[in-house]
Amino acid sequence: MSDFAWDSSNGAGSASPARIIAWLIRHPPIFTLLLIVLVSVVVGAISPEFWQISNIFDMARASVVTGMFGLGFLVVLAAGGLDMSFAAIAALMMYLVTTATAAHAPWLPMPVILLAAAAGGALLGVGNGLLVHYLKAPALIVTIGTQYVIRGFLLTFVGTELFINIPLPIENFGKYELWRVQTDSGSIAILPAYVLVLAAAAVATWWILNRTLMGRAIFAVGGNPAIAERLGYNLRKVHIFIFAYAGLLAGVAGMLHVSSNRLANPFDLSGTELGVIAAVVLGGARITGGAGSVIGTLLGVVLVTLVNNVLILAGIPTTWQTFVVGCFIVLAGTVFATRESS
Amino acid sequence: MDSRFPELDPAAPAAPAASGPPFLELRGIQKRFAGVHALRGVSITTEAGQIYHLMGENGSGKSTLIKIISGAQPADEGAILINGRETTSLTPLAALSAGIETVYQDLSLLPNLSVAENIALSQQLVESQGRLARRIDSGRLVTTAVRALEAVNLPTDPRFWSIPVEQLPIATRQLVAIARAIATEAKLVIMDEPTSALTKREVENLIGVVGRLRAHGVAVLFVTHKLDESKSIGGQFIILRDGQKVMEGDIADHSKAELSFAMTGKKLDSVRYRRAAQGAAGLLEVVDLRRSRAFANVSFSLAHGEILGVTGLLDSGRNELARALAGVTPADGGHVRIDGKAVALNRPIDAIKAGIGYVPEDRLSEGLFLEKPIRDNIVVQVLDRLRNRFGAIDGRRSRALANDIAGELQIVAANLGNPVQSLSGGNQQRVLIGRGLTFDPKVLVLHGPTVGVDVGSKDTIYRIIQKLAGDGMGVIIVSDDLPELLQNCDRIMAMRKGTIAEVFEAERVDEAALYRALVAESSSSVQS
Repeated sequence: MSDFAWDSSNGAGSASPARIIAWLIRHPPIFTLLLIVLVSVVVGAISPEFWQISNIFDMARASVVTGMFGLGFLVVLAAGGLDMSFAAIAALMMYLVTTATAAHAPWLPMPVILLAAAAGGALLGVGNGLLVHYLKAPALIVTIGTQYVIRGFLLTFVGTELFINIPLPIENFGKYELWRVQTDSGSIAILPAYVLVLAAAAVATWWILNRTLMGRAIFAVGGNPAIAERLGYNLRKVHIFIFAYAGLLAGVAGMLHVSSNRLANPFDLSGTELGVIAAVVLGGARITGGAGSVIGTLLGVVLVTLVNNVLILAGIPTTWQTFVVGCFIVLAGTVFATRESS
Repeated sequence: MDSRFPELDPAAPAAPAASGPPFLELRGIQKRFAGVHALRGVSITTEAGQIYHLMGENGSGKSTLIKIISGAQPADEGAILINGRETTSLTPLAALSAGIETVYQDLSLLPNLSVAENIALSQQLVESQGRLARRIDSGRLVTTAVRALEAVNLPTDPRFWSIPVEQLPIATRQLVAIARAIATEAKLVIMDEPTSALTKREVENLIGVVGRLRAHGVAVLFVTHKLDESKSIGGQFIILRDGQKVMEGDIADHSKAELSFAMTGKKLDSVRYRRAAQGAAGLLEVVDLRRSRAFANVSFSLAHGEILGVTGLLDSGRNELARALAGVTPADGGHVRIDGKAVALNRPIDAIKAGIGYVPEDRLSEGLFLEKPIRDNIVVQVLDRLRNRFGAIDGRRSRALANDIAGELQIVAANLGNPVQSLSGGNQQRVLIGRGLTFDPKVLVLHGPTVGVDVGSKDTIYRIIQKLAGDGMGVIIVSDDLPELLQNCDRIMAMRKGTIAEVFEAERVDEAALYRALVAESSSSVQS
């Protein structure tokens, strides 16, 4: 047995600093959590408002759409792919489903609307998957292409106008309250019920990735596609599934975006791609595929949302947000690269 | 026959009497690739509990045959019978469910998945017939994995089976791959050159595991170049040449010379290649070179035209020493002098400027740009010299240089513009040696020069090495192939635990003595 060195730094023993660092490096979500705590403590010390319940609720609300995108991106990334088209899919489904519902069936209940957006997003995702599989082109390039095609289609054939009179079921869905808190100052803080959609999506994604053969096949393909194929994993199924799943989550995310903003703007959501990728990478997913976790992704989303929303509380100009996120990405990239080479 | 490896117990339960049809039978398999007739009607059978050695030079059709058996490629013509029943199309999954497990050189392990998953997921994938919308039975996954780990003497506690395979040393990974074969209840395990990355001790352990597989009625098919090893393992052999089966039988009934003649079609004498005398001393002087946790107190000298062998087990520091001389992973202390002049070797470019050429051990990942033309791979280290006055690379001069080198090293290629990956292993190795020669080095460090190279190519490479030394170049061969060192070197330096244990005159030592020097005092840690 003495020949097999494994995980030697994980054994019960004195907790030397080097060991702690080594352990952190191998558990990237912990590192993300540390950054969250760091930002919270610093901002909270400067501005006690940070810890107000309304602020916490605001951030939960702001995390939902990024979170949905992040989960979809994670699933594609785990299989070694990159999906750049999710925001375009979300924008198309959001605008298409909202305007179509308003014009033809404003009475349609929200679950049906969500289902329609999910199905439409999944269908577009299947298209991505088929292209990636049969063209054997890098997923990054293919999905940048489909992103432009989808956006072009939206603006050319569907519409370019801000749509304000959104159907009542969609509007009401954004108003359902999960939790209402009366603060000491007399104001009211509300946690909207749609955060549960993100929670459900997170649980579903975790279950698929960790408890099904598809999930393991996704990681297998992300680890080494040639070997995975040799072992009998069907690459076509995996490619179609990951992009369809990302598209499905994007479609739902689009509807959540309309519900919370109570208007549909076809120009919304564009440019959110890099923020989502940043969140997923900060959550410890390997950009080359094959590694990443749902909990890490959620923490990454929280971290990015935190930086985007609270720096202003600390009196730091908002222009610094991207600067800070950028520094965190470089830092995280360095730490996680150490993990791979060690 | 030497006795470097434990022989399999001949009394182990042999194949059950041939009551039924053989497990696997191939009849008249033909395979063509654009213009190349890779297999010309090959027929083989394998019985349960037997050991087979599939031998042949690179390009003989071995790999193609393996791919057909494992379902990776279809045969153009011929029949495949499993348990006497003909299968029309053998897919990877169909081969797996029939009990054919192939352990390729890359071991077919998924680096990012855990040990347990690598071992036991296949079972559930086969049972679901490839359908992925299935829950994983985690409990059974672990039970299956643990049982298989026990069978190959690996630890069975969660701390071991939950770690990603990429964190394990290569020999352990190989055992994991074998454990997977056990978990899928394989009837035939194919191992593609399983020992090329292993030290002797690891090879011994592998052979022990193979013996246990055999005792369970599993047939094992080795694909190999190594005659010595095959002879000491024993069993049946099948030799392919030019896509045809030229010879088969019990390996004990045939001499090494006969076998290599069958493989190459030419006589191969295992004489000493080294003939020329060395020149003036003091070409390379290494004093007290050290690198923490790798090697220390390493001092030696090399004369003009001398060939020095360096050998040792995997933990001996030989690989690190080779890389330090090349400036890849620099030494922490000590001095290196070339022709009396001190040189600092902190980066690969320092070594090149000092006149040290380096041919790395792993030509696929460290050496070659696989998709790039052969020509570009040869000239890549001297691009500076090939610049014309506009700063662009002079195509004519670069072609001329590549052609010269290709001619000198007898690189067999239809066109030097073809990607280097289209070449056989032996030719790839020659490209790499050729590159090392483009800047006229004074010292050439060859790290495992014939790993994964067939018998015929070895011969060519040895002749090239001798010619280089004859021209006055100092050559250092770092290798664990002891016969290779004995045939080629003037002196052989045996390393142990990071220091030079002994230095031998190659003509006054035999393989057994050399091997004893490598393993002395370090045999206590062989796993139980």
